[in-house]
Amino acid sequence: MNNTSSFGHATNAGRNLPLNNTCGMRCNRTSVSCIVPPHILRRLIEKGAKNLSQDAFRTLLTTAGLRGERSVRAAVAFAAAPAHGRRTISDCRQGRRLESARIVRTEDGAPSADPAVNRAFDFLGKTRDFYKEVLNRDSIDDRGMRLNGYVHYGNHFQNAFWDGLQMVFGDGDGELFDDFTKSLDVVAHELAHGVTEHTANLAYHNQSGALNESLSDVFGSLVKQWSLNQNASEADWLIGAELFTPSRPGDALRSMKAPGTAYDNDLIGKDPQPDHMDRFDALPDTEDDDFGGVHINSGIPNKAFYLTAIKIGGVAWQAPGQIWYESLKASSTDTQFQEFADTTFSKAGLLFGAGKLEQEAVAEAWREVGIRVAGAPRAARTGVSSARPAWPVSASGADLGLGEAVPDWSARIEALGAELQRVSREVAALRAHA
Amino acid sequence: MKVTLQQHGGIAAGITRRPQTLDGDRLPPDEARELEQLVAAAAESPQPEQPQPVRARDAMSYTITVEHSGAIRTLKGSDGRMSEAFTALLEWVEARLARSR
Repeated sequence: MNNTSSFGHATNAGRNLPLNNTCGMRCNRTSVSCIVPPHILRRLIEKGAKNLSQDAFRTLLTTAGLRGERSVRAAVAFAAAPAHGRRTISDCRQGRRLESARIVRTEDGAPSADPAVNRAFDFLGKTRDFYKEVLNRDSIDDRGMRLNGYVHYGNHFQNAFWDGLQMVFGDGDGELFDDFTKSLDVVAHELAHGVTEHTANLAYHNQSGALNESLSDVFGSLVKQWSLNQNASEADWLIGAELFTPSRPGDALRSMKAPGTAYDNDLIGKDPQPDHMDRFDALPDTEDDDFGGVHINSGIPNKAFYLTAIKIGGVAWQAPGQIWYESLKASSTDTQFQEFADTTFSKAGLLFGAGKLEQEAVAEAWREVGIRVAGAPRAARTGVSSARPAWPVSASGADLGLGEAVPDWSARIEALGAELQRVSREVAALRAHA
Repeated sequence: MKVTLQQHGGIAAGITRRPQTLDGDRLPPDEARELEQLVAAAAESPQPEQPQPVRARDAMSYTITVEHSGAIRTLKGSDGRMSEAFTALLEWVEARLARSR
């Protein structure tokens, strides 16, 4: 549905228009004739045009082609009312034009008769809740960005993707792949790409791209584990296990626990993921070669996260998840494996204490995948100490040892607060059922 | 006319995706004509330029190779970045390939 805005330009209320077709109209290749001049948009932003709806802001952004500028997007977010991750699910009805999709479920609307719509809605909600309750993050951009999902994209479309503004899901072909909304970790994986874009914005190629992919697998798996309240040792650590049809039982897209073992059959070949830097696959940085194998080499940091979680024990969304999230926020566009590993080691020390269980686990995990973090002792250790420190770590500087950094108390307090909220909810639920 | 579709990438980028070929000579005459028209339209509509920075994640890309009268033509598109004519050709080819399985 297209409406004409007050700027005389076709809009699509409530939608984030697709990347390659800013206005749903026939545009010149450069799209110059289809955009609001940037100086007008900036003036509106400067004046804090609060009378404009959030939808109008979003339309202006997409048609102005300024959506790639994070500073502009951030400025607009301040002027618009917070959405707190309100969900809208649209049905593409087997088409590939998002602007032609029909809104079928909104945040406050009734459930749909279509299970795919409800799954996308529910899983987006679980993912949003995870980020809020575990990481204290308000939606993708930490400013309540709307969550728009598109289902039934294409005809037997065997994929799900994040287009820079929203998540898109196919139905699968019914032979190899089932509906892509059936996997919570895949839904969360796609949403996590948005989070990465709004934090480190890791460039989508080579090592930084593999980190980008790995972080989506990490948080995709954590959302699933959190929803099931699983310990790290209980989790399957598989990505997309629900996507394959019943005729292909036991397969998954990837295994974080054992990269390279997710599948092995005549139809789709053998899982090519490496689990160690010695087997890093330096593929060409082209679209046809997965931009340097971003979905392939993600196996290495995936394994490092899995090992970290197992070595620390307990639930993976606590210490390991906190460390990885803080490291994501501390990373940048060109961060490579080594730098990210070093950052996780540093963050583990800041959050939980230098030389403690968590930091040792991080160092050992990266060492096992072939990356020695800077700052880790060169001398071999027999293993991670089984003695767990009290959590949080004592505030006394003497407890941390000579020359060690003071822990990041604000991050710890934030993490404790999130955990307290979760426990309070569980107690309330138990009382309600008592 | 022979049309070969090769898919790349996507969230399941690691799996082996074999090229699939549609033999236009085996199609009914009206469908063969339709295929020619779709190919011609797609050839006239190049893929939109890749925006920088690249923002799509887990997008699949598609290469359609057309062999006709001794000439070979390659057409490309990807999720969220393909011309309308390429979309029409891709969907048509995918539907015929699915029907033939």
